Amino acid sequence: MNLIHKLNQKLDKMFNGAVHAREENGCVVLTGSLDSWEDIVKAGYLAVNKKRYYGVINDIEYTKEPIPGIRLPDFEDSVYDDTHCDIAIIGAGIIGCSIARELARYKLKILLIDKEHDVGMHASSRNDGEIHPGIDLIKGQVKQKFNIKGNEMYDRVSKELDFKFYKPGQYLCFDDKRLKFISSIARLYWRFMKIPTIYLNKNQLKERIDGISEKMEYAVFFPTAGVVSPYEVTIAYAENACDNGVRIALDTAVTNMEVSQNNIISLKTNRGTIYPKLVINAAGAYADKIAGMAQDRFYTIHARKGTNAIFDKKTVKDKRYIVSTYGMSKVKTVHSKGGGIITTADDNMLIGPDAYETFDREDFSTDGKNIDQILQKHRRTLPNLKKSDIIAYYSGIRAATYEEDFVITEGKRTKNIIHVAGIQSPGLTAAPAIAEYVSRMAYKMLSKSILVELNNDFNPIRKAIPDLSKLNEEERDRLIKMNPDYGVIVCRCEEISLGQIKDALTRSVPCDTLDGVKRRVRAGMGRCQGGFCGPLVLKTIAQVKKMDYDQVAKKDDQSRILFGKTKKHDTKV
Amino acid sequence: MIRVGFCSERPKNMIPKSENTYDVTIIGGGPAGLSAALSSAKNNAKTLLIEREAKLGGILKQCIHDGFGLIMFKQKLTGPEYAQYYINMLEKTDVEVTCSTFVTEMKRKEDGTFHLVLVTCDGIRHICSKTIVLATGCRERSAKQIFIHGTRPAGILTAGTAQYYTNILGQMPAKKCVILGSGDIGLIMARRLTLEGAVVEGVYEAKKDLGGLLRNYSQCLMDFNIPLHTQTTCTRVFGEKRLSAVEVCAVDDDMNPLEGSERIIECDSLILSVGLIPENELAEKLGIVTDKETNGPAADHCHQTMVDGVFVCGNAFHVNDLVDYVSLGAKTAGKCAALYSKKIRKLIPILHDGYFAYCVPQFIDMSANEKKVDIYFRSRKKEDKIQVTLSAGDEVIISKKYVQIRPSEMELLQIDIGEIEKINNWKNGVSIKMEKVE
Repeated sequence: MNLIHKLNQKLDKMFNGAVHAREENGCVVLTGSLDSWEDIVKAGYLAVNKKRYYGVINDIEYTKEPIPGIRLPDFEDSVYDDTHCDIAIIGAGIIGCSIARELARYKLKILLIDKEHDVGMHASSRNDGEIHPGIDLIKGQVKQKFNIKGNEMYDRVSKELDFKFYKPGQYLCFDDKRLKFISSIARLYWRFMKIPTIYLNKNQLKERIDGISEKMEYAVFFPTAGVVSPYEVTIAYAENACDNGVRIALDTAVTNMEVSQNNIISLKTNRGTIYPKLVINAAGAYADKIAGMAQDRFYTIHARKGTNAIFDKKTVKDKRYIVSTYGMSKVKTVHSKGGGIITTADDNMLIGPDAYETFDREDFSTDGKNIDQILQKHRRTLPNLKKSDIIAYYSGIRAATYEEDFVITEGKRTKNIIHVAGIQSPGLTAAPAIAEYVSRMAYKMLSKSILVELNNDFNPIRKAIPDLSKLNEEERDRLIKMNPDYGVIVCRCEEISLGQIKDALTRSVPCDTLDGVKRRVRAGMGRCQGGFCGPLVLKTIAQVKKMDYDQVAKKDDQSRILFGKTKKHDTKV
Repeated sequence: MIRVGFCSERPKNMIPKSENTYDVTIIGGGPAGLSAALSSAKNNAKTLLIEREAKLGGILKQCIHDGFGLIMFKQKLTGPEYAQYYINMLEKTDVEVTCSTFVTEMKRKEDGTFHLVLVTCDGIRHICSKTIVLATGCRERSAKQIFIHGTRPAGILTAGTAQYYTNILGQMPAKKCVILGSGDIGLIMARRLTLEGAVVEGVYEAKKDLGGLLRNYSQCLMDFNIPLHTQTTCTRVFGEKRLSAVEVCAVDDDMNPLEGSERIIECDSLILSVGLIPENELAEKLGIVTDKETNGPAADHCHQTMVDGVFVCGNAFHVNDLVDYVSLGAKTAGKCAALYSKKIRKLIPILHDGYFAYCVPQFIDMSANEKKVDIYFRSRKKEDKIQVTLSAGDEVIISKKYVQIRPSEMELLQIDIGEIEKINNWKNGVSIKMEKVE
């Protein structure tokens, strides 16, 4: 009580009595109203006390403008009505998909649910793809533990699931010799954390990174840093899960739950009522809302947005790297890695991301000033970054809790739920480890009531769609002779063939959109951004899926590309 | 014309038994490639024309409006007709044509010839060629390249893509649209979509002047009462699934948005006609030198780039505004490639001042057998009553008066090498200047 009293004193002082704190079910609950989103977030942080409480429930009302709600599918049907399953996983991002794949090792009926039309549509395809060494994590954090384990697992997982994984290492550059004292202490800490480091002097650094700023005096190199394509990993996990019997329910939003005697009975969705024995909450930015439906809310997600920019492949020389400069961000870097420059798994240069709070959990819009800011920031490291070489940019939302740590636990009151929430950076790195851990947790929970057997047919191997442009000539020739469509280039910028596009449309995770094809085989991701291949991909989708041209969409049914045949057009708009 | 190497369009027995060695290999079967191939064959070179798509014709295939061929054929043709005229002429030659074929690699061998790796649906093929003619055309600048911000909905597309949907697929890409950029394809699409019953709210151009030809402004916008808003640009887009609106904003002379002038326009499509970029990514690996102003390779008046044996023509060289000019230039490129023999070129530069947006060719090869020099240029700004002078030192080679010159209209200056040789100081190059005349 004393703690709450002290907190209320602080809150009163800061917000003139507009915010009040109380303790409820082991959580700190904040109520009141404020007209500044920053203040609401600030109050949330103020209430954190990890030792005494499960978490902060921030119910302070934002009065300045309405907060856009969750974007839901615009239709209802009964495709999944009365589905009984052992496990329902809510959210098909990297976390949901990797858990689904690990759970497929057991003989269980698993339903993987997502409100979007494809897997990995939010944070999982909107990050920079770094497999973090864990430089800025602190011992004792949940995310630190899973990051170390996950990082080590990527070698094996990338082989099993056949996705690109490179380990170029990360360079943390220092532009001030006086920082040497700090960095040598830091290196001792990293050694204690079992993160290997190598010291590089100015010349060594210059040798390794073309065009590095002359101001950089030295660097610490982390050889365990890697890079993947985040959506490739998510899709790979999802495909392997589905190959092994997991059912996937896309365009399916959980809108309510029936909870009785601390047990979730059913999930109400726009596509029918689903009856799971166990629910895994991997709902990303909406995990706290799902927890609320399950009557088990003990944390709050606040959206932290970031923007990345991608450069033309021309800018990448033969060497891959991840590079950033210490202390270059004037904004506080506590809650973000401060971004970096990364050679992506698909050979582009990427810069970003920045970090700022937003009240809209699905605000994926971009703004010119963010691009200019990240460009300016990273020019300190690589002065030759040219704005005119940028070919694409995008924003993502980090699902942060006020505790700034992962929430990976059984429900506090509701018995048949596992929360896998607050998974922001380094969630991608941690995912393989989280998936193993959560699947074992789920196995143990279910074993209390049913007999869970191992799935002897489980096949951990998934074969990727061949990337012909990267194959050697004999192999490429052989594949073309087997399937001539592999010899018809559709996307000229990325050299993607018709055969690869058709492959993308016929895998175990359904795909029937331009963006879906783009994220699977990169058609449209090059410098012309789909100007040439867009219509050809659309034609192929229509042909393979037996759709009319005007039914083909960019990302889901609400984003169709065409309006129907010419000559028949209704002139009244 | 012999069709080779493509599965669906040729009988199997027509694969040439030869060792796949050519005098001239032309990459790209659009208007430039067609003309270059024809001219190369007419000069008795063993010629191969490589096309990425299943059919020849390039972008002409989707340009169903007329106005092509006024110079070359003295008649108004549609794009497909213009292409067909060339295909028909090519049929009478023994040019080998391979469609649905993609060049993945070009290497210069020690003996100076080129080795190309091709991907076809029959597998990987290798060919050797004494010379290469780049006729790879250009691509449209994308929404991201002009930094359009906001959401990422469906309904933002380039004018060329919109043209493909409308003319090739017979599908409407828009019901109510805003066109950003007043390039020719944007103007043409304004008319095209209006004719198909769509509403074109307006054409917005960030620059002071029209981006396309005056003729297109009058025939495509004025005739259909479509407003052109110059010094106005699109600053933001809205709508998460399909585009729902765009924000337009007036800009100052330096293209900075003027605060307070923002206006929201509801529409389902934003069509972009914001510039074309020559496509030379493939050739960059050969070490060609790129001109920052044209974004294409620097070349001499024979269309030979700074790499011996590599020629360039059409929009891959610089973005032309008439297909007839493309054909004319490509004809020279094809001929010079066919007659190519390795020797040291006597190159002199054509220098120009800041009043020009660009000027091509960048060099004149004084040792060339080709004596005709076609100099094309664009001015940076719209100017009235201008005299353009080509000179070396103090000596004038040629001078021509123009009532008006505009950035969007390419101008031509023709000279003969003999006229340059007549004067004394040509060895350091010639320079082109623009002056006001009364």
